[in-house]
Amino acid sequence: MDSRYINWKKAILRVLLYFVVINVCLVILYPYFVMVCTALKSRSEIFAMEGTILPIKAMWSNFVDIWYRAPMAKYMLNSIIIASGSTAIAMVCGIPAAYALARMKFKGQTAFLGFIIVSQMFAPVVLLIGIYKVMQIMSLTNSLLGLIFINAAFNQAFTIWLLRGTFMSISAEMEQAATIDGCNRVQAMFKILLPVAAPGIVTTLIFIFINAWNEFTVALCLISTDTIKPLTVGINIFNGYNMIEWQYLFAASIFAIIPVVILFMSIEKNLTSGLTAGGVKG
Amino acid sequence: MKQHKPYNLLNKAEPYLWILPSVILMAIFIIVPIGFVFRMAFSQVTKAGLVKGFCGFANFSKVLQGAKFGMVLKNTIIWTILVVVLSTVLGFILALLLNNEFKGRKIARAIVVFPWATTLVIQASVWKFIINTDYGALNTLLKSLGIIQQNVNWTPTPEAFFGWEIACGIFVTIPFVCFTALSGLQSIDASYYEAATVDGASYFQKLWNITLPLVKPSLTVATVLNIIYVFNSFPIVWTITKGDPASRTDTLVTYLYKLAFYNGKQGEAAAVSVIGFLILLVCASVYMVSTLKKGDE
Repeated sequence: MDSRYINWKKAILRVLLYFVVINVCLVILYPYFVMVCTALKSRSEIFAMEGTILPIKAMWSNFVDIWYRAPMAKYMLNSIIIASGSTAIAMVCGIPAAYALARMKFKGQTAFLGFIIVSQMFAPVVLLIGIYKVMQIMSLTNSLLGLIFINAAFNQAFTIWLLRGTFMSISAEMEQAATIDGCNRVQAMFKILLPVAAPGIVTTLIFIFINAWNEFTVALCLISTDTIKPLTVGINIFNGYNMIEWQYLFAASIFAIIPVVILFMSIEKNLTSGLTAGGVKG
Repeated sequence: MKQHKPYNLLNKAEPYLWILPSVILMAIFIIVPIGFVFRMAFSQVTKAGLVKGFCGFANFSKVLQGAKFGMVLKNTIIWTILVVVLSTVLGFILALLLNNEFKGRKIARAIVVFPWATTLVIQASVWKFIINTDYGALNTLLKSLGIIQQNVNWTPTPEAFFGWEIACGIFVTIPFVCFTALSGLQSIDASYYEAATVDGASYFQKLWNITLPLVKPSLTVATVLNIIYVFNSFPIVWTITKGDPASRTDTLVTYLYKLAFYNGKQGEAAAVSVIGFLILLVCASVYMVSTLKKGDE
């Protein structure tokens, strides 16, 4: 009797679990479902009195039209340049800093870590006026290079945070042995630490790439020439004041989302443990 | 000893050389802008953005006496608290569910990643489309399910619009909390639960006495980061309402963006930035004190 009761209870809990998880997934996917369906509809179908959920006739041509109606290829290329450039600079500056924080003891270490945390409180949007001034002085307003530097700088905290956690989780013994064998610190880092830390480094790299790819606010404010806008800002060409071309907006959005979602899935596991580990270890 | 001195000096300077590139990058693009913002907050600034000398707290008093500021601040606090609290609770519950072994768990995890990876502008655009009264997807869906007969106006008031913005904010924040909690949950040793089961503990006793205390550090980090991001979040409100009508859906960041770049009041915008920073500083210092304490232990 007792064990049968427990089995029943288990079965019900299982069904309940599936029920809730499936519903949550449906809710999460709903906006994406709407996006895809709308991207495949014609304009008149979207604004029709009696709307339909699925497109009556799939307009695959929407996915072709956007490349003519807007400089989509340019937007895409700009996003790639901004994201790759920011990632490269953030890593070149962040790796040595994270290494020093993980492996050396020096005065001001705590202050530097403290500053990194405080710098997180200044989202670029709060500092836009100041950023705009700096860009004016360096004549970097309305340029991709300006956006690259801003993205790299505002991602420094995360870069250092994640990498420091990765480096600290790896024993320093091997590097010390290499130093005794005549390697200097730079060689020891490149030859021994970085290969071992590769998974953490790739996670960090992809995370910064995604952040820079998804950045909207600074680009909106700094870039005025249409041909140097990234995707996030550029696609709003279909989001006019008087008329929104939903089908084109969403077709273009899908191109902006897909690469990032795939990248993100590949790092999700390492990223979350890295984020919290860096924080918990303080 | 003496001939080693230059070597020692280099040794002492070495760590600073390693952090130098990072420090320069952040100095130019974060610290200098912070300096400019603070300077402008206490200066008279022309419409063209030229700084015309110190003016004390004039910008602050203009902002604080402004008719809209109280409402904007209230909106920001409501926005931050509701989004952070609800996404933390829901994200944690979702993490508990996903921590079970079941078929399709990998797929479920992959799906939960979606809102985290999607740029906020696009997510917000879709929501704007979904809640539209005339042709929105929500009305179409509910009509075809037979739940409603006529189009419902989901956004009759600015407050309703703001409510939807909050919902969108919660939606995009849940995955981050969920995954941080999940990584905390998975690091808990199963033997704790086995011991508790032997002692006859119920599910909720185990949740309260084992799971929560052990996941707390992960959740704290997630919550502090969320407070900062949500407080400073711009794209959702900007895409759905631009803070309109008459600032009734504005938060501090959209308000200051309009002050600076639409109304040419950069001095006042800088003052709003400083006020926002001070509010966050209080939150962050609580966190910093607790982490630094941990570092000492």
